Amino acid sequence: MVSSRTILDVHILQTVPPSNLNRDDTGSPKSAVYGGIRRARVSSQAWKRATRRAFDGLLDPAELGVRTKKVAELLAARITALGVGLEEAAAWQAAADTITAATGAKVAPPARKAKGDGDDPAPESQYLMFLSSRQLDALAALAAEGLKDSGGLKEFFKGKENKARAREAANTRHSVDIALFGRMVADASDINVDAAAQVAHAISVHAVEIESDYYTAVDDQRNEDEPGAGMIGTVDFNSATLYRYAAVDVDRLRANLGDGLRADEPAAEPVRRAVEAFVEAFVTSIPTGKINTFANQTLPDAVVVKLRSARPVSFAGAFEEAVQAGGDGLTGGHVAGACAALAAYVPEVERAFGAVTEDSWVLRVGERTSALAGLGAEVGLDALVGAVGAAVAKRLAGSAG
Amino acid sequence: MSVLLLRLAGPLQSWGVAARFVRRTTEPAPTKSGVLGMLAGALGRDRGEDLADLAALRFAVRTDQPGTRVRDLQTAHHGDTDKPMPLSERFYLADAVFVAAVEGPDATVDALVAALRAPVHLPYLGRRSCPPSGPVDLGVRAGAGLRSVLEREPWQAAPWYRRRHHAASVSLPVQADAEPEEQPRADLLRDLPLSFDPRHRRYALRGVVSFVVDAPTAEADHDPTAHLNPLEPESD
Repeated sequence: MVSSRTILDVHILQTVPPSNLNRDDTGSPKSAVYGGIRRARVSSQAWKRATRRAFDGLLDPAELGVRTKKVAELLAARITALGVGLEEAAAWQAAADTITAATGAKVAPPARKAKGDGDDPAPESQYLMFLSSRQLDALAALAAEGLKDSGGLKEFFKGKENKARAREAANTRHSVDIALFGRMVADASDINVDAAAQVAHAISVHAVEIESDYYTAVDDQRNEDEPGAGMIGTVDFNSATLYRYAAVDVDRLRANLGDGLRADEPAAEPVRRAVEAFVEAFVTSIPTGKINTFANQTLPDAVVVKLRSARPVSFAGAFEEAVQAGGDGLTGGHVAGACAALAAYVPEVERAFGAVTEDSWVLRVGERTSALAGLGAEVGLDALVGAVGAAVAKRLAGSAG
Repeated sequence: MSVLLLRLAGPLQSWGVAARFVRRTTEPAPTKSGVLGMLAGALGRDRGEDLADLAALRFAVRTDQPGTRVRDLQTAHHGDTDKPMPLSERFYLADAVFVAAVEGPDATVDALVAALRAPVHLPYLGRRSCPPSGPVDLGVRAGAGLRSVLEREPWQAAPWYRRRHHAASVSLPVQADAEPEEQPRADLLRDLPLSFDPRHRRYALRGVVSFVVDAPTAEADHDPTAHLNPLEPESD
C-alpha cells in the first residue's frame, strides 16, 4: 500500500552511571514497574526539556524564516489567499497596518523617484524583519478577522486585546520547539499547536534498586572541641541502562512549521532542518538533574532510527522481561543483553505489524552492541543526522503533489 | 454488527475522567472517551468534528492485568518569563494490559481497523507520553455480541504474569456499557464524549455495569501428562 505518510521512530539505549537525572518530590529518582519489575524512569517531560535546551545550540530560528523588508507583499499574498477579496493596493495597506500593530514598526512605500511607470511601489518596513511561515499565517488570519470588523482594520487593532493578539502572532519565538512539542494556552485556544513529537518515558531495561548516599559537610571554621559535621543528609541515586523512544509525525511537523519562504530552497527545508535538529538534540542531550554531583555526561550506546509509512512502532516490548546482566552467558553487562533482546524482537514485531521498512539506520558503540548490526545501515552521528534529513526531504518532495 | 478488539498495553498509560489542573488522576481501566479519542485520532478527525457516530458505538473493557499506580510529579517553568508554574501530580497505570471492545456497524468497524493500521494521528494510551508497546488492534470478531466476545478472547496478559496462573481459565473483571434494563443498578461514569473541542469539552454520563468473565488462558490445551512416558509393563 503506497502511503505518503512519514513517521520517524528514534530508539536509544543509553547507560547512565550512579546519578539522579530526574527526581520526584521526595528527592528519589523516578521509577516505574514494568514486567512486574521495578525500573528506573526518566520522565518524558524531563528529556523533552533537555532536547529543547539543546535546540538553542543547534538551530537558529532565523534559518526557518525569511529576512526581508518586503513584509507587506509577503503578508498581503496570504491575506488575499484567504479570500477577503481585496485589490492589491488595499491588501498591501491591510498588511502594513497589521505589521505595524504587531511590531510597532512603520511600514510605508519607500521614497523612490518616479521612473515613469505610474504604479506605486509596495510598502516596506524600515529595517529587515524576520518572519516565519507560521507567523505570517497567524497574522493573515488576524487581518482577515479585522477586515470583517465593522469599524475597519485600523479600528480593530486599536483595541488592546487585538493588538496583543497581533503581537503574540508575530512574536512566537522558537517555532521549532513549539511545532515539535506543542503548545496549549487555555485562554486563547485558537493558538494551540498539536505536538508533532511523542516522547515516551525512558525506562531501564533491567531491575533497578534505589541507593542512598549518606553525606556529611564539615564546617571549615569549626573549633577542635566542636566535633561533628555541620550538616548531614542523604542523596538518593541509581544507575541504569535506559530505553528511550520518540516518534515524530513529520507530516504534522510540516503542517505546524509551514513551508519555507525562500525561493532558493526547497519548500520542505524547514522540516528537514527541524528533523535533523531533533534527532541530534534527542540523541545527545541529557537532563541536568544533579549533574554537578554525579557528572553523568554519557552518550548513547546504541541508536536505531526508522522511517515508517503507516504507524509508529515502539520496541518497549523487547524489555518487558527484564534483562539480566550475564544472562544466557553473555558478557557485556546490561547493554549486551539489551541489544540481544532488541535484535530478537525487532524483526518479529515488524512482521507482526506489517511494518518492515527499508529506511533504517543504526549508530552503535563497541563490541557489546554487535547484535544490532543487522538492523540497519551503520553510521556515525553526523552521517545519521544527514541521512535522516535527506530521506525525510526526499519523501516530502515526493508527496508534495 | 461486529466487534473490534483493542489491546491497550504499554509501560505506562493513563485514563482520566475528572482529571484537571494540578491533579491528573487515572481511572483503573480505560475510559470510553479516551479510547474513542484514540480512534478518532486514528481516523484523522479534528477535535471540533462531530462525534456522534463514534459515541454511538457500544464499549466494554476487560482488565487482563491490573498493573500498579505510579505517581509522577511534574514541574514546569513559563517559557517566556521563566516563572515556576504550580507543581502537578500525574498518575499513571504501570504495567497494565486491557482488552477493549467496541461494537458497531460493520462498515464503521472496518474503517476503524484500517485507521488503526495507518493512523493519521499517532496513537497513545491516554497521554501522549504513553505509546502502546505492540499492535493495538487485535482484530474484528463478527457475528457475536460485545460480552460474549470478551468471554471468548484469550487472556492477553504478559507471559511473566500468566506464569503465575495455571488453570485453564481465569476470572477477569469487565466494565461494560449498561443495557437499558440494567440502567437502574448501573454505576455512572462521566466519560461519554459529546465534543472534544478544546474550547468546550463536554462529556455525558454513561451507565457502567461490572461483572466477571472466565476467559481462556493460553494453557487451555496444556496436558500435564504430555511429558510422561508410559512405563513398560514389568515382566515377571
